[in-house]
Formats: sequence, structure tokens, C-alpha cells
Amino acid sequence: MDAVLVIQSLISGIMIGMVYALLSVGFSLTWGVMHVIHISHAAFGLLGAYLAYSLLTIYGIDPVVSAAASAPLLFILACGVYRLLIKPVTKAKEVIVASMILTFGLAIILENIMALIWKADPRIMTPAYASGALILGPFYFQHPHLVGFALSIAGIAAVYFFLKKTYTGMAVRAAWQQPEAAQLYGVNLYRISMITFALAVSTAGAGGISLALLNSFEPHSHNLWLIYLFLVVIVGGVGDIVGTALAGLIIGTITGLSMAFLPFQWVNLVTFGFLMVFLIFRPHGLFKQGA
Amino acid sequence: MKKAPLIAAAIVVVMLAAFPFLSPEVYYLSFMFSVFMYVILASSWNLIGGYAGYLSFGHAAFFGIGAFATAKMAALFELPPVLTILAAIPAGAIAALVAIVIGYPCLKIRGPYFAVVTLCFAFVVDLAVKNIEWLGGAEGIWMRIMDVQEKLSRSIMYEVMLILMVATLAVAWWVGRSRLGAGLRAVRADEEVAETMAIPTANIKIQAFVLSAFFPGVAGGLFAYYLTYIHPDVVFSINISILIVLMAMFGGGGTWLGPIIGAVILTMVNEGLSTFARAEIARIIYGTLFIVVTIFMPDGILHFFLKRNRGR
Repeated sequence: MDAVLVIQSLISGIMIGMVYALLSVGFSLTWGVMHVIHISHAAFGLLGAYLAYSLLTIYGIDPVVSAAASAPLLFILACGVYRLLIKPVTKAKEVIVASMILTFGLAIILENIMALIWKADPRIMTPAYASGALILGPFYFQHPHLVGFALSIAGIAAVYFFLKKTYTGMAVRAAWQQPEAAQLYGVNLYRISMITFALAVSTAGAGGISLALLNSFEPHSHNLWLIYLFLVVIVGGVGDIVGTALAGLIIGTITGLSMAFLPFQWVNLVTFGFLMVFLIFRPHGLFKQGA
Repeated sequence: MKKAPLIAAAIVVVMLAAFPFLSPEVYYLSFMFSVFMYVILASSWNLIGGYAGYLSFGHAAFFGIGAFATAKMAALFELPPVLTILAAIPAGAIAALVAIVIGYPCLKIRGPYFAVVTLCFAFVVDLAVKNIEWLGGAEGIWMRIMDVQEKLSRSIMYEVMLILMVATLAVAWWVGRSRLGAGLRAVRADEEVAETMAIPTANIKIQAFVLSAFFPGVAGGLFAYYLTYIHPDVVFSINISILIVLMAMFGGGGTWLGPIIGAVILTMVNEGLSTFARAEIARIIYGTLFIVVTIFMPDGILHFFLKRNRGR
């Protein structure tokens, strides 16, 4: 096996891993803070990708600009979804089950709305720099991949900064660690949940756009993305931002390497098999001790 | 046990069994065939998902394993029609065997993690079958068709699926009232407490999981022969896995009647929608249904109406 090829696949793997990490951060937060498993998270990411795709093909707007522009849009949309659908579910007896079924329905709705608007054909994001590539010695990196990678690093950094440095972000973390105590200190759990959910959905949009810069997508792609979400979040530990980013890189490395050594169709098999084994031995994440 | 429900059930079964003799259109036979199939799937899922609260999101895997095992046996031994139908039983046993192997490690993990691991399991099985040439690979397997008129062959499959449904429901009924069922309900209520009460939780979970894999496996075998051609995309579809969960939860998980009601209603809705609306619109309405049900009837339709009656 050619060493250059291996390193090249490894680097591509790491890049895509970072993108998965951005897509997963919000999923991890809604799961950790609200105990809601948001199955339609990836579908919202795909919606972001399609919006950026249309803006690009019709108005020639760069996907990075769309990522910034669609974030507030998705934020508002998600606030509405939260009020109408998610909030009633958080009062159910078994929140996790109820939320999984409800958001699965939401994912079906989103998928088919996207299929109606954009048709079922696979799409590729082709910004102006799509054909360009950065060549470093024997390695080369396509420009869209680099942009997607950079976008996801920026996205994760923004979420991290929000949670660590801003007042609202600290309230979110408090609500995750000790909901009752946080309430005693005057944290409005309802508002925090809404903000968490809406923030998660807008990062999903940015993540979807980044992923669309690396891979082609179609209306049912979110099902596969969802598996990667679970993979990254479970390896990283639910609700843990740094863990999620690291898990993204680990999983990217594994997929990258298996792409170098295995035929393409076996890659997903290896990934899912890895998740199964992982779940059985370390269900609470790689970086946490016990439950 | 009260006599009345038993007699009512017997009357319904006899009426259903007599239906093909009225020589209805083939369409109705096919429709009832899928209703029976989904009742089997939802009711067997309910054994582990409903009673024990272990939500398996990968039950299509057992359905698919049964389908492929039957098709492969039929091709390998060049089985005649009658034996192909009977081959669905060992195929179900293969599915049950896989359930033992998978269930042993997986049933140790709880809650959403169990849901995810079973979801992954279904993906792994699907991808593995697609990539194994011996099992027909991505091209699927063709089977010999029954050498009789279409209406007769459909009627035969209808009756066979009906028998399997009655068997599944009888087992589900028995489980619901046995020690096993009581143990499973205890696991659902509080597993730690159940363990301290000397209920062999690990053991009964495996039993329920194996039972809940066997019947879908047999149903998958019959379905394969009914289609005469199977492809991994058809029998391992994640949509089937999710549909099974929804039917059971929609009707009311953990009850005997719930999954039956859920499967019947959702199969009818599905059929009606796909006849009268375009595919995308139909699926959007279908998705909306999930949302409405979870918000307004979180414990399923059965509980919703029972509670209402009690309120009066």
C-alpha cells in the first residue's frame, strides 16, 4: 500500500470527521440538556444544504455566506418548532421515546418537502472554486473540502465560545449539569431549552452545508448522516462539546483509513460495526468514567 | 379466563379464514396479507419493546434474515412450493439464533443506547447481505413461482399468513399473562428493583427478544415467497423497522390489543394514502400522523380511548 495514498485518505478522513463533529454538536446538546433525541437534526442539516444549494445556483451566493445567513433563519424556525412540537413532548412520561417518534415524523415531513421542492436527484455543491485544489508536495486538497473543513472548525469554536464565555451559554451548561439547582439560581429552563434547541438546529444547518461541500446529497441522505450523528455523539459522550469534536476526528480517522484499505461499500459496514462494539463496551462515551 | 373474548376472537379468525372463499379481488387478498404481516411484526416487537421497554429499532433485520434464509434454502435445495413455505420456519429459527447472539451483549445496554445499537445492527446486516455474493448480493434472489392461478396462490399465502398471525397472537397472549410477562413488566418499571426481587432479568429479556425475532423471521420467509423476488433494500429497509415501532406504540405498547390496532390502522392509512395522494404528499401526511399521535395520545390509541371512557 502506497504511503502517500494512506496519508491522503487519513487527512480526508480527518476533514470529514470535523464536519461530522459540527453536525453532531447540536445533536449532543439537545440530547444532553433536554433529554430529547432529535432524529430530524440531520434533516435540518440537509435543509440548510439545500437552501445553500439554491442560493448558489440561482443567485451565485457562496455557501459560506449562506451558512452565516441561514443560521438566524433556522434559529427562528427552530424556535417555532420547539414551541409547537418539542415542548409538549418534554412533558411526556418517557421523553426520550416520545421525542424519538415525534422527530422521526418530523424528519419524514422534512425529507418529503425537500423531495418535492428539489426532486430526488443527487446534488453537488459547485461554488466558483469547486475545481481548484491546493497541492502540497504529493498531497492535494480540493478547495471545497478545505472550505467545508474550515467552516466546521469555525462552527465548533463558535459553539464552544458560546457555552464557555457567554452568560446564556453558562446557563445552558448549568441546566445540563443540575437542572434543579440551575432553576434555583434563576435560570429559566423553558427559555434555555428553546435556545439550546434553536442553536442546535442552526449549527446543524452549518454542518449540513459543510458536509454538502464534501459529499453529494439527496433528500434521504439524512438517514445515513443520522447514523454518523449517533456514532460521534456516543463515542464523544452525550452533551460533551470537546468530546464530540475529538470523537469526530477519531471516527474520521477510522473511516479515512478503512477507505484506503477496503472496498468502498465495506466502509460503512466497518463504521457501524465499530459503533455496535463501542456501544456494548463503553456506552457512556470514550472520555467518561462510568455512568 | 373469561369465555367471551375467546369466542369473539375465534369468530373473527373463522371469518378471516373464510374470506378467500368468497372469491374477492386479488387486491383485497394482498391487502389483508400485508395487514396480517404487520400485525405479526408489531405484536412480536411488542414482546421486547412493549412489555420490557427495550425499544428495538432494528427489527427489520430479523424480518430480512428470515426472508433471505428462506430464499437461499429454496434456491439451494430447489424446494417445491409447499416445502418453501415450510422452510420459513427454520428461517425463523435462524433469525432467533441471530437474536440470541446479538441479544446477549446488546440487552445489557439500556434506554436510547439499546435503540441505537439495534438500529446499527440492522444497518450492518443489510450492508453485509448486500456485499455477500453467495446471498445474491446487491442483485437479490429470485424464487420459483407457485405453478397455479394467481388468485389461488394469493389465497394460499393469505391463509398461511393468517395461521402465523394466530400463532403469534396466541404466544403474545400467553406471554402477557405468564410469569415471563410479569417479569418483563417489572423490568420495564424498574430493572434494578426487579433484579433485587430475584427476577432473572437477563434471562427473561433474552427469552422475549428471541421470541420477538422468531415470528418476524418466519413472516419474512413467507413475504419473500409471496414476492418471489427479494432484494436487501426491500426487506432490510429502516422504514420497516421504524414502522414496526410506530405501529406498536401508536396502538399502545405493552398491551396485547394495542399493536394489533396500531398495525391494522396504520396499514390501512398507508394503503389509502398511497392510493389517493402522490408519494411525497402521502409521506408528509404520514409523518404528521406520528406527531399528532405523540402529542395527543402519548400512551397510544388504546389508552386514549380507555381513559376517555373511564372519565365519563
